[in-house]
Amino acid sequence: MNGGHGPGGGHGPGPFARGIAWATALYLLLPLSIVLPVSLTDQRFLSLPKHDISWQYYHNLFTSPLWLDAMAQSFWIACAATAIAVICGTLCAIGCWRLARRSTEVIRALMLLPLIIPSIVYAIGLYRYFAWAGLLDTFLGVALAHGVTGIPYVIVTVSTALAAFDPRLEQASRGMGASLRQTLAWVILPRIMPGIVSGGIFAFIHSWDELLIVLFIASRNVYTLPRRIWNGINENLDPTMAAVAVLLIGMTLALLLLDMALRRRREG
Amino acid sequence: MSHALALHGVTKRYGNFVAVDRVSLDVAAGSFLTLLGPSGSGKTTILMAIAGFTVPDAGRILLDTKDITALPPEKRDFGMVFQGYALFPHMTVAENVAFPLRVRGMGRAEREDKVRAALDLVQLSALGDRRPQQLSGGQQQRVALARALVFDPALLLLDEPLSALDKKLRAELQEELRALHRRVGRTFVNVTHDQDEALSLSDQVAILNHGKLIQTGEPAALYERPATRFVADFLGKSNFLEATAEGGVLHLGGLDLAQADAPASGPVLLSLRPEKIALLADGETAANVAPGKILSWSYLGAGYSLVVDTPMGPLRASLPSWRAPIAPAEGLAVRLGWAADAAVAVAEDPA
Amino acid sequence: MRRDTGWWLLIAPAFLLLTLVYIAPIAQVLAISVMEPSPGLGNYERLFTSESVQRVIVTTLRICIITTAIALLLGYGLAYVIALATERARRWWLLAVLVPLWISVLVRAFAWVTLLRRQGVINEGLIAAGVITEPLALVWNETGIVIGMVHYMVPYAVLPMLAAMREVDPRLLAAARGMGASRGFAFSRVFLPLSMPGVIAAGVLVFIFSLGFYITPALLGGGRTLMVAEWIKLQILDLLRWGLGAMMATVLVLAILATLVVFSRLVNLRRLFGGGA
Repeated sequence: MNGGHGPGGGHGPGPFARGIAWATALYLLLPLSIVLPVSLTDQRFLSLPKHDISWQYYHNLFTSPLWLDAMAQSFWIACAATAIAVICGTLCAIGCWRLARRSTEVIRALMLLPLIIPSIVYAIGLYRYFAWAGLLDTFLGVALAHGVTGIPYVIVTVSTALAAFDPRLEQASRGMGASLRQTLAWVILPRIMPGIVSGGIFAFIHSWDELLIVLFIASRNVYTLPRRIWNGINENLDPTMAAVAVLLIGMTLALLLLDMALRRRREG
Repeated sequence: MSHALALHGVTKRYGNFVAVDRVSLDVAAGSFLTLLGPSGSGKTTILMAIAGFTVPDAGRILLDTKDITALPPEKRDFGMVFQGYALFPHMTVAENVAFPLRVRGMGRAEREDKVRAALDLVQLSALGDRRPQQLSGGQQQRVALARALVFDPALLLLDEPLSALDKKLRAELQEELRALHRRVGRTFVNVTHDQDEALSLSDQVAILNHGKLIQTGEPAALYERPATRFVADFLGKSNFLEATAEGGVLHLGGLDLAQADAPASGPVLLSLRPEKIALLADGETAANVAPGKILSWSYLGAGYSLVVDTPMGPLRASLPSWRAPIAPAEGLAVRLGWAADAAVAVAEDPA
Repeated sequence: MRRDTGWWLLIAPAFLLLTLVYIAPIAQVLAISVMEPSPGLGNYERLFTSESVQRVIVTTLRICIITTAIALLLGYGLAYVIALATERARRWWLLAVLVPLWISVLVRAFAWVTLLRRQGVINEGLIAAGVITEPLALVWNETGIVIGMVHYMVPYAVLPMLAAMREVDPRLLAAARGMGASRGFAFSRVFLPLSMPGVIAAGVLVFIFSLGFYITPALLGGGRTLMVAEWIKLQILDLLRWGLGAMMATVLVLAILATLVVFSRLVNLRRLFGGGA
């Protein structure tokens, strides 16, 4: 007998598959890790540290009003966009789940369009549309655009959470006299909260990283972090960019770990 | 305060499928009605219509004299025990029971008193701080009952309340449920596919099949005088004798049958319960006697179940096992006998 | 029905927002493509007459097909190893897929520029090691685009394939081996066919994401190799040819929807996007 060597029952992948998997994993991770040493370089251009590690570019980053302002703008836009996406997406997912008919399936599919249609198409459309609506280069305009394109992330995670929710709990609540609002607040939302938080995290990351829409609809007033990075890469490749990259990678890792911890708590 | 419930011609269709077909029912105030039927008979749909979760396509539902057909569930003030109980997993037992009171905006002190009383009623006072998933199936069932009764509902609806439990626990809880009904004196409407549960719990049983109401009555009346073949077959076991009447005498398989209240002529369908057939000793006689040979038998603890090949066809008979007059064996020749009032004439069910 | 009104009201805010802030602007793009500079299908005629339009489409398709093929190959190997890994190991492998998935695409493109440019870490390293004397042209050309795009797409390829593979009962492989099949035979006759729906789903996903990809091709292509998304941006922001840009945007959307429709017959695409039921 080959005993218990994992679920393959002793039939692990062959050396060829293992080779591809390791090579691919390194290909995925190594390029990202390069930014850490580069950010600590003692040189004046993008390179590995030659003689000594130096924190000067982190100092640059945290004392530069341009970078700090971009981060603050991105943060507040992401917060507003997340609020829009979480509120609209959660309510919509609950409504579609409860009504569960052909028309709500179509609505749910429509809500996922921002995942499918390339941002460039939306960005050029929005450029014209917001010019007409007077929302170009405004905080509200960017928050709305990021919010609506963040809805699908919330719809997906909340729908997954609802799939595990016993619909009889909703019936029981209504049967005992609870109104729709009471049922939402006391029965449905507490049960699907982990899904909502996950969706919120993804919607936040989406807005925080979004560049293409901002490139079209923002100019002087709204200068988000991705736009600052974009210009940095295109104009002057200075090691401060590597420090920014390290910071962003760290934030994403922290949010992902938070999401994993929440998932584990939900399953445990 | 208990209330009466009445259904008038309630009908529910799903596309071309008629789930409930013109069902009319009267439930007296304070009585315990069970809707009994196989799966797909429409019993759950009727309960859901009473609860307000489905709206009938036709017909009316009255609480006392008030028409509640179109009222949404949260306005009906009915208590309900759901299949699988539907206890809120993120709340403690006490919070679950307090839920209907919280919904009604009741103050904390009053709420706590009521919750304590409701938990006392089902003997779970000690477990108020637990989560539902920490309780056994029987305890969860009692929490569901306490939650359904805590707000003094006009009506208590039970959707297969015992189906999730094992057989022994089910018997215990049947007795408890019956006692609880007497104690709270409210109108209960129960749904089940379990005939034993229906017989032992209810004041009234309504038997349903294919969305139609077949017969209603007290359990004993239904068992002893089933109206149709379906009722006789679904409630307990029955032999069916397809006899012909001629001048007040019934003929079947070359034998004459003595049958009380037999019609003068025409085909007659009789339902004969196995336990009403006796195994006759030598020299013993009965109003009806059929000779035969044992085709098969099985031992059931309290008795034997026999299938005996007779000139009327195979008949199922039961025989107490304690000091049984014979030792059953395949091929053994026996005589079966039954009284003239043992069998009941029943109607064929419409197809 | 009247009593469902409350639930419909829950859907309303998202639906209104989507209609007003998402669908309306996109509908406008479709309208512009047939209205500007003059009403009619003139912009679409360019598909057949303009060499530069055709060139950008051919370039895009070529890069997308290469990217999809490489991403599927690498992703399949990775997904296969993850599917057969122990519970503990699987968690680490998954992290290796999810972390890059969620890291900003800009940061990733920046990392690639740092590595691949003429004075980048790879070229400097290879020169220092004496392997090459002249720096290799690794970026600001099609090679750079493909390297960066595959890097972006591999996680998207892994996830659907992994989902399909995890539904394959691993005992089937054990059974095939038990009946005397070699590892390669068991894989190609049992595992590969059973995981095929995942491969198709992953292929569709990667291909449609690649078609409209902007940031990585723009940064790693260095303006010399144009894909449609960057070409559209060029038409609209730099050349102010709205009609032509909108036409290409419409073609892009139609190509993506057509791909989805064709393949929705083969695989359950609802699962790709986390279908509710």
